Amino acid sequence: MQKIEAVIQPSKLDAVKDALVEIGVDGMTIIEARGHGRQKGHTEFYRGREYAVDLLPKVKLEVVVADGMVEKVILAITAAARTGAIGDGKIFVSKIDEAIRIRNDERGEIAL
Amino acid sequence: MQIDEATDGGMRSRYQRRMLEIRGAFEAGGASGAVTIAARSKALDELVSGLWGRAVKRDARLAEGIALVAVGGYGRAQLFPHSDVDLLFLLDGRLPEKDLKDSIRSVSQEMWDCGIRVSPTTRRLAECERFHEENPESALSLMDHRMVVGDATLYDKLAGQVAPKLLQRDQKAIVARLLELTQARHAKYGDTLFHLEPNIKDCPGGLRDAHVCAWMTKLHGVAAAGKKGGAGEAGVGLGAALGTAGGSASADDGNEFRKAVEFLWLVRCFLHYRHERDDNTLDWQAQDAAAEAAVGLVGRRPKKPDAAYWMRSYFRHARSVERRVAQMMDEMPAGKAPSRLLGLKRKREAEVAQHGFRLERGRVVLEEVGAGRHDPAQDPEVVLQVFRAMSRTGATLGGSAEERLSQALPELSAHLEEGPALWHHLQEIMTGPHAGGALRAMHALGVLELLVPEFHGIDALVIRDAYHRYTVDEHTFVLIDTLHGLESAQTGAMAEWATRFGGLLRELPHPGLLYLAALLHDTGKGRSTGDHTKESARLAQSVLGRLELDSYESGLVVSLIANHLEMSAALRRDIFDEETVRAFAGKMQTPEALRMLTLFTYADINAVHPDALTPWKAENLWRLYIATANYLDRSVDDERLGAQGELVHRVAALLPGQSAAVGEFLEGFPERYVLTRTPGQVRTHFKMATRFREDAVQLDFRYAPAVSELTLVTRDRPQLFATVAGALAAWGMNIVTADAFSNRQGVVVDTFRFTDTFRTLEMNASEHEAFVKSVHDVMTGAVSGEKLLSGRKRGRRKSPLVVVETRVEFDDEASSHSTLLEVVAQDTPGLLRALSLTLAGQGCNIEVALVDTEGETAIDVFYLTREGVKLDKEEERTLKEALVQAIEENAR
Repeated sequence: MQKIEAVIQPSKLDAVKDALVEIGVDGMTIIEARGHGRQKGHTEFYRGREYAVDLLPKVKLEVVVADGMVEKVILAITAAARTGAIGDGKIFVSKIDEAIRIRNDERGEIAL
Repeated sequence: MQIDEATDGGMRSRYQRRMLEIRGAFEAGGASGAVTIAARSKALDELVSGLWGRAVKRDARLAEGIALVAVGGYGRAQLFPHSDVDLLFLLDGRLPEKDLKDSIRSVSQEMWDCGIRVSPTTRRLAECERFHEENPESALSLMDHRMVVGDATLYDKLAGQVAPKLLQRDQKAIVARLLELTQARHAKYGDTLFHLEPNIKDCPGGLRDAHVCAWMTKLHGVAAAGKKGGAGEAGVGLGAALGTAGGSASADDGNEFRKAVEFLWLVRCFLHYRHERDDNTLDWQAQDAAAEAAVGLVGRRPKKPDAAYWMRSYFRHARSVERRVAQMMDEMPAGKAPSRLLGLKRKREAEVAQHGFRLERGRVVLEEVGAGRHDPAQDPEVVLQVFRAMSRTGATLGGSAEERLSQALPELSAHLEEGPALWHHLQEIMTGPHAGGALRAMHALGVLELLVPEFHGIDALVIRDAYHRYTVDEHTFVLIDTLHGLESAQTGAMAEWATRFGGLLRELPHPGLLYLAALLHDTGKGRSTGDHTKESARLAQSVLGRLELDSYESGLVVSLIANHLEMSAALRRDIFDEETVRAFAGKMQTPEALRMLTLFTYADINAVHPDALTPWKAENLWRLYIATANYLDRSVDDERLGAQGELVHRVAALLPGQSAAVGEFLEGFPERYVLTRTPGQVRTHFKMATRFREDAVQLDFRYAPAVSELTLVTRDRPQLFATVAGALAAWGMNIVTADAFSNRQGVVVDTFRFTDTFRTLEMNASEHEAFVKSVHDVMTGAVSGEKLLSGRKRGRRKSPLVVVETRVEFDDEASSHSTLLEVVAQDTPGLLRALSLTLAGQGCNIEVALVDTEGETAIDVFYLTREGVKLDKEEERTLKEALVQAIEENAR
């Protein structure tokens, strides 16, 4: 089982969610986030006041899937989220030791 | 058979058989909720008696000194199919507890084996006498006690002496704790009964609230009677709850309340059997099932009631309970601050007397109907003033006022007038800080639907949607509450954002329109699925027609409603992409519309669900607002009118036969000019432009105590703007906003809105003419502007509350044919004159000017050309230096 974390543009969230559901991923966690990579922010002026935009809004998506699904998920996210411009985001993959369903104590891949 | 029933196993199977019988009777449709819960209670009594009987047989000591007492719901003889059973093992203390432990445990175990969730407590009689602040629930459950089996003498002591003594002595403390608990519970459910999936036990208007009514009545009775005894019978039934001890309840009201409670009993039984556990949530599937089975629907009803219809009936019953509990808690002399259901932050007002009613300790009391006098409840003037007062002060309706208004409704509808007077009243109600409370009261009484029948479609309307927490009507009120919440300082994570957005609210010239749009924005949901914005806009048109709003105001409201989802939609795209901003700005047209939509979106998100508006969302909303506001201000120059088109047509319609001349006049003006004026105002300017032959300088002056307005229509020439600004400064006028536009033929329309610093105009009405003449003379050159200015005594300059840093910025890209200049500086008298003189001095022509003030900050935007083209870098540099110097000099 592996966890896939994707930091993406908020405007791509709907597309990525749909893509994941389409390949059979039902469960995911969505977190509102802010951040930057090499794409630094800028300063916006409004009525004489400065509004620094150094942390841009992002969305973080987390899914945990069986090993066999990992590549499919990565492909789905990339295809849906990519614009080709700086700021598209990143995907990280890590190993998961255990998964448990709270409702009925199921463990392992069947709990996903 | 007798032998079978004597064994534990026999008793168990008898009980379970009985349970099935009861269920069968319920589901066949014959047995009511009342019958069902009484039957279960009785069956349990038999079981408990039987089990205890056997325990006594095994240990004769148990025959005396111990009584099994039903408390809580069981004590009321109201046991729902899967409710817990609260059983008190009452001891007199003669037997040591440890000797009884095994017997008590075995009886409890037997009950558990039958599938009964029993909560046994063991107490000595003496312990029952004390009230523990930290554990009010035990005292409350003791209020409903009933003997099941055991030592009758011991029980009588509880019923006749100990319990009454407890209530008598600690009545105030118990009431206070009960109030606290109820308020906390209500707050947990957002102080509203309009949930999409209500918990019929704990939600406001649910069964818990009905119990609270019964307890309050009992406690009130104890307080009133002031003597011992009288609490001996079986629990506190409905009868007691309906008694007059509770206050001003009428027979009708009592009837409604009883029906409501019976309905809730029925539904709770239904839910228990459906969920097969103590789950009291009316989830969507349960609602569907209840509708299909027509649970609790009596009398006339549609052939196939759907869930929405059924839920309305639920909400109607819940409302009766909620009203009763609110009334009772209101009338109890308690020391704590009431919850929102009981009356918003009531100010300690002195008695305020009005025509037809007065405010007493935060409640509305209607005047009595005297001989020959009309009933104030039937007078629309009075009624609307009542709600206005509630909106301004947070007062609530007293019980009798509520009843009288409810009964007067038919009379009221006969005498109601529409038009501007009604709009005035509505505005007064909606713009008060406690508008939400007033509107909810109006809605509950049916008054709101009288005034705005379009609201009927969304009464208690449930929308099946994972995101929304409230019914559509409640959502609307929460939205309005949110807007008003921005008026005062807030704490917590959203505080900073509330301040920012609150600033926008303060700048709105027409806040009443925002609230009207809020009230009507979702009315379309009552009609259809799919795009409700169009339907809501259509319904709004008919409302606006009846209220006789002018076309500009109507236009604002309708477009806000039609576009109310546009900003949320834009937020789902990349807000840093120019194209997103441009497309969104295209729908906005004016800064005022943008501000209204921004505020609306903020409140709309917050009203979906308490957690929906996060700082993250607020930040993005603010960013989109700024980007769009800046875009609008930077694109004024490029969006100009042609000689024809929709906007031209709107004005030409007011001047039949002159459309060609109108087209010529309007051609070349930025669209912004027409979009921010009513067609009537543009017509006035057009007419002024036709009179140049008589008088080259046309002035239109409108005085108002707060902000006056002066419009100049004339042919463009150098230093024009500076001259007017100077004339106004000479009279001590402080310019708040201004704009300057010119058309293709070089006719300018400059509008200045200003405050009268020295109150010259306010104090002398005759000075108005002198003022206009003076400005005119300066414009024609008959009088020297300089002289006028120097002759003017300058007031002592107050040191500013907020120090504003000067900023001068150029933008070469925004417009295709002029340079955009933005100056932000400390707002000081004469600033605008100083700036425009400098611009003129540097040879710059003002194509468009947009002047605004925000607190102590002056924000001035100019679209400039020099010799017909944009400024180059060198010219910009020189100009900037000159401007900064002029600002400094003016400030001294």
